[in-house]
Amino acid sequence: MSARRHADRRARGTALVAGLLALTGCSAPASEPTTATARDWEDVLAEAEGQTVRLWMYGGDDKGNAYVDDVLAPAAAELGVTLERVPIADTGDAVNRVLSERQADVTDGEVDLVWLNGENFATGQQAGAWLCGWTSMLPSMEYVDPDDPLVSTDFGLDVAGCEAPWHKAQFALVYDEARVEDPPGSVEELLAWIEEHPGRFTYPAPPDFTGSVFVRQVLYAVSGGVGEVPLEFSAEAYDELAPELFDRLAELEPALWREGSSYPQELGELDQLYADGQVDFTMTYGPATLPDLVAEGTFPATTRVLLVEDGTIGNASFLAVPATSGSQAGAMVVADLALSPEQQFQKARPEVWGQYTVLDPQRLPGEFRERFAGLPQSEVVPPYEELSDGADPEVDAGWVTALDEGWRRQIAAG
Amino acid sequence: MSAAPAVPAASRVGRGLLGLWLVLPVVPLLLWAFADRWSFPALLPQEWGVRGLTEAAASGAGAALLRSTLLGAVVAVLATPLGAMAGRALASRQVPGSTAVLAVLMSPLVLPPFAVALGLDVLLLRLRVPAVLGVVVLLVVAALPYTTITMRAAYAAHDRGFEEEARLLGASRWRTVRSVQLPLLAPALAGAAFLAFLVGWSDYVVTLLIGGGRLTTLPLVLASAASATGNDSQVAVLSLTSVLPPVALLAVVTLLGRRGRR
Repeated sequence: MSARRHADRRARGTALVAGLLALTGCSAPASEPTTATARDWEDVLAEAEGQTVRLWMYGGDDKGNAYVDDVLAPAAAELGVTLERVPIADTGDAVNRVLSERQADVTDGEVDLVWLNGENFATGQQAGAWLCGWTSMLPSMEYVDPDDPLVSTDFGLDVAGCEAPWHKAQFALVYDEARVEDPPGSVEELLAWIEEHPGRFTYPAPPDFTGSVFVRQVLYAVSGGVGEVPLEFSAEAYDELAPELFDRLAELEPALWREGSSYPQELGELDQLYADGQVDFTMTYGPATLPDLVAEGTFPATTRVLLVEDGTIGNASFLAVPATSGSQAGAMVVADLALSPEQQFQKARPEVWGQYTVLDPQRLPGEFRERFAGLPQSEVVPPYEELSDGADPEVDAGWVTALDEGWRRQIAAG
Repeated sequence: MSAAPAVPAASRVGRGLLGLWLVLPVVPLLLWAFADRWSFPALLPQEWGVRGLTEAAASGAGAALLRSTLLGAVVAVLATPLGAMAGRALASRQVPGSTAVLAVLMSPLVLPPFAVALGLDVLLLRLRVPAVLGVVVLLVVAALPYTTITMRAAYAAHDRGFEEEARLLGASRWRTVRSVQLPLLAPALAGAAFLAFLVGWSDYVVTLLIGGGRLTTLPLVLASAASATGNDSQVAVLSLTSVLPPVALLAVVTLLGRRGRR
């Protein structure tokens, strides 16, 4: 089975470290963001020439690593920028490094670019760790829809020109057509299906990234739609909405695989259960990898994505430039390159990486619109437009932490 | 080991069990390393292959292996003589407050490396210490408890009479060290160097935090591969790559030790 994970997972620990740093009594650096001075793009290109950009990114995704090494880095080299990939087990490590460098007033730090979203972005933003106001300078931004909520906010937090979009992800429920004769059409119906077919469904235990998204998806459903959930976290909203969610999940438990006495600890285990036919559903935040898994025989040929009428949660991941980077011009050039139609198209090809573009097809030159439209269609996964129809936004990072903790207390321990 | 008839059967069984206990965990690793497909409930991989090997090579394991070896060697080369000097001084009982000194030298054992690295990171950055130098310095300090303890015990059992004898017979100070002290202490030195090597070889936290991504060693590559799912054969290859060199080194050290005892 090929590695399939997201940079945005495993954010835990960063906040703790940020807290620790505060506790060590080091003088807190100014938390105002550093703003890039607006200038001509030609200027930036000229300064970037000869710079080395160290991109810190989650290293557990082989396809992602190969894309950066074999596609993005050679293209950057043509612009005179050397792109080096620093593999990390946890994106929080990069944020920690930047926070330390910021405390030490380093101006030529080791981190020039970070692939991130959600909690990691929010933690850095709180400490003013990211360079802001630079994305509007990128020529490729003209292909991005400025009103697209997925790229203008990151888990509820205004992006504010402090990170450039990288690609989109869409949560998807996956089932085996051969085993599920009456696929449910909404999350509510899915919950009912689970109760009618005991032992055929389970989900990874939060804080597994995907399990955590599933719980939020159920939260939207039991709250009566995403409109009923304030995206900004507050204790009141949590106290009002969480009990119903956890009651429902507790009610569901006896109908889960092994009567909910144990949950898969991570998505990989659920995928394995699904591949072995022990359960009829799995789920993913990267559905574009499904055709590959089917083609290589890991998943049954009758694997399909479940389209639910309430829409599923979508998000985007981003590239941020630390305020401590000494190669900011080079980093901006790489971020712009990564956003160019050619690179976005390459990245979207399933055999390269299979990540959904952040570009708006309406804004693309005709040639690229055709190339994107010509990406291989699959029986397994519907096109992104269909998949993301009525997409739900992510709640803010405060919700994520609170719900994961609530799940641990009430479901895992309950 | 010469199969001495004096070794009772019970002892042999005990040794066998111990060996099994050590080798058993490596068996699934070996299987996984050459399994292209191995899913529940099959007892053995359904498809054999070298995908794990090619994936591990693609993830930069080769260069990382070199860097890890170099880092371990540098730490061993620095921490072993330092530990030997500290051990000799502490064993001679000529150090005032030797218990306190020992406690300070041992402190890296009780302090969580994560906290130390995090605390020192900002300081080292402020002092503009180059990242790689910072890593080496911190790891040498982390290795000192092991080398000091090993060498203190060795010096405590070491009879200085041999050195005095050599000096009386007219050997120079350096000659005494080279021809008397070093051969007598070779097994202990090898053991201490081995432990120090392991500190550098296996470190994750310090290399990552202080090294600032400059030093992508084997543990870093392994951790980033292991944090994903579905990489099992690649992770198995990387794990074996991390386990085998120390085992080989241990065999060498043991051999050296046996020769020293003769």
